[in-house]
Amino acid sequence: MRPGPWTRAALHLANMLAIAFFLLPIFAVLFGALQSEKSLHANTRGLWPPEWTLDNFRIILSGGAQRGAIFEQATYLPDNIKKIHFALINSTIISVSVTVLTLIFASLTAYTVARLRLRWVMWLMSINVFARFVPIIVLMIPLYVTFRQMGMLNSIWGVIIALTGFLLPYGILILAPYFATVPQELDDAARIDGCSRFTVFLRITLPLSTPALASYGTIVFIIAWNDLLIPLILNNRAEFMTLPVVIASLVGDVFAFFNLTMAICLVALAPTVILVLLLRKFVVQGLSAGAVKG
Amino acid sequence: VAAVIPYRFGRELPPRALGVAMNIPTLITLALVLAYPIYYAAYLSFHKVSLAELRRGIFPFVGIANYERIFNDKLFLLALKNTFVFTIFSVTVEIVLAIAIALLIDQKHVWTGRITKFFILVPYAVPPIANGLIWSFIYSFEYGFLNRILFTAGISDTAVNWAGNPATALFAVSVPYIWRTLPFAILLIHAALQGINQELYEAASVDGAGALQRFWHITLPLLRPIIVVILVLRTSFAFAVFDEVLAITQGGPGDATWVASWYSYKKGFAPPFDIGTGAASAYVLALIVGLLAIAYVGLIYRRIE
Repeated sequence: MRPGPWTRAALHLANMLAIAFFLLPIFAVLFGALQSEKSLHANTRGLWPPEWTLDNFRIILSGGAQRGAIFEQATYLPDNIKKIHFALINSTIISVSVTVLTLIFASLTAYTVARLRLRWVMWLMSINVFARFVPIIVLMIPLYVTFRQMGMLNSIWGVIIALTGFLLPYGILILAPYFATVPQELDDAARIDGCSRFTVFLRITLPLSTPALASYGTIVFIIAWNDLLIPLILNNRAEFMTLPVVIASLVGDVFAFFNLTMAICLVALAPTVILVLLLRKFVVQGLSAGAVKG
Repeated sequence: VAAVIPYRFGRELPPRALGVAMNIPTLITLALVLAYPIYYAAYLSFHKVSLAELRRGIFPFVGIANYERIFNDKLFLLALKNTFVFTIFSVTVEIVLAIAIALLIDQKHVWTGRITKFFILVPYAVPPIANGLIWSFIYSFEYGFLNRILFTAGISDTAVNWAGNPATALFAVSVPYIWRTLPFAILLIHAALQGINQELYEAASVDGAGALQRFWHITLPLLRPIIVVILVLRTSFAFAVFDEVLAITQGGPGDATWVASWYSYKKGFAPPFDIGTGAASAYVLALIVGLLAIAYVGLIYRRIE
């Protein structure tokens, strides 16, 4: 049943529209980040700037030290942009640590759910299904008070712990069903050869589950990199901010140039967008598994 | 058996002890970041907690005064109403678009569909706060991207202030939200489409059913379970929308885009830092979402059986 030429043309057109919609903000951010404030104002109606420039990135990545032609006209640079290298480092440390920690913690628990079948572990699993629904804001108000009393505000560790706890339930929900699909015969064979259960977990379950671990790891990295509310509430000093917090701090700043903020947005979204395009298959599998298996 | 024993080193833990040992990291983290905060949020919502109390470390008990205050606060009721409008609009549009795009990329003989498929996950990866800020550039009145597109395409000649109109601001915030969360819905529906037996369509065609009839009588009924799952998941997450509101409107113009999470955040973390009231309003949000979670669990377990 091949559709007629008109139907085909309509389907191609629909695909073009879908692609244009998915890429609209990407075009917008490139358009804003690759020109100067002056050229943005010189032509307020066109879609092709009079001149392209990388000066916005020079200013940002040098923390304002390298002043390109653009910055000659500017008299003010927000403090958080000057300290943006902190945010780049913090975002990287936090996302990588959260990914590693959640992978370890979630696989340990997922193995006990899949193989040991203890009653209280099954309870833990059902609680996890509910835990995914708790809105972050509900957790952040008490965490702020607790961390404040413990003197843990403005620390990288506070954010790592909070994010790890928030993302763990999701991982257990993805990994436990996958671990259960590893053939029990392999476990039994290894046990007969004298492996302990924990060795079976390390040598058999984990290596055979790399696709699920990759799926969950990628998703966790993206969510951790993108999260705003947790570091926004826990950390308010530039030295401890992440990229999303720096972006949020520019929102109310009427003096911050659109071009500079677009350039920062591009810096913030590039790593996760590239990652998701490279690891599409894993993300797709992880997202579907997390939604329909319980 | 005797030949096997030398390979074991140390004594193996019995399953019960191993279960406890392997769950220690998870239990500690979840207790610290999930269980205790949920309890403590309830505690705070019944106490007076603002800057002065935080400094002294003593929180006086006030009973249900915080809850009384928010339910008498017109702004809180407005925020709840806005949250409902935002959620119903976003989730409805999202599901309709997701079905359409999933069907589109399922047409394997249309090669442009593979390009669409390649880019579908891009919105999922963009940080929500960056997404919000980019859209506020798209919406900008003076030099925004959307007005430029309309000028260049010759569709309009006067600049439109997309996010500045109180009547439409909530919808201006929901478009970026839909954009960012659409990939998830498309993926799930597309996966469900792969599971539909093609013979059903062939049989229907033989019986003379047109494309629309096949969609209405075969595809849609078979997609229903996954649509319900998406509906519940997306609804409960849309209730907690925050980043896009912060980036695009910050609650404005006027109070037009105050939503539940924004209310709790502004109460607790902006002057006068009334954390007790913030906790009470967040708890109301959590209870609404909790009801949705119960519905979700019921659905999922029925699916598995």
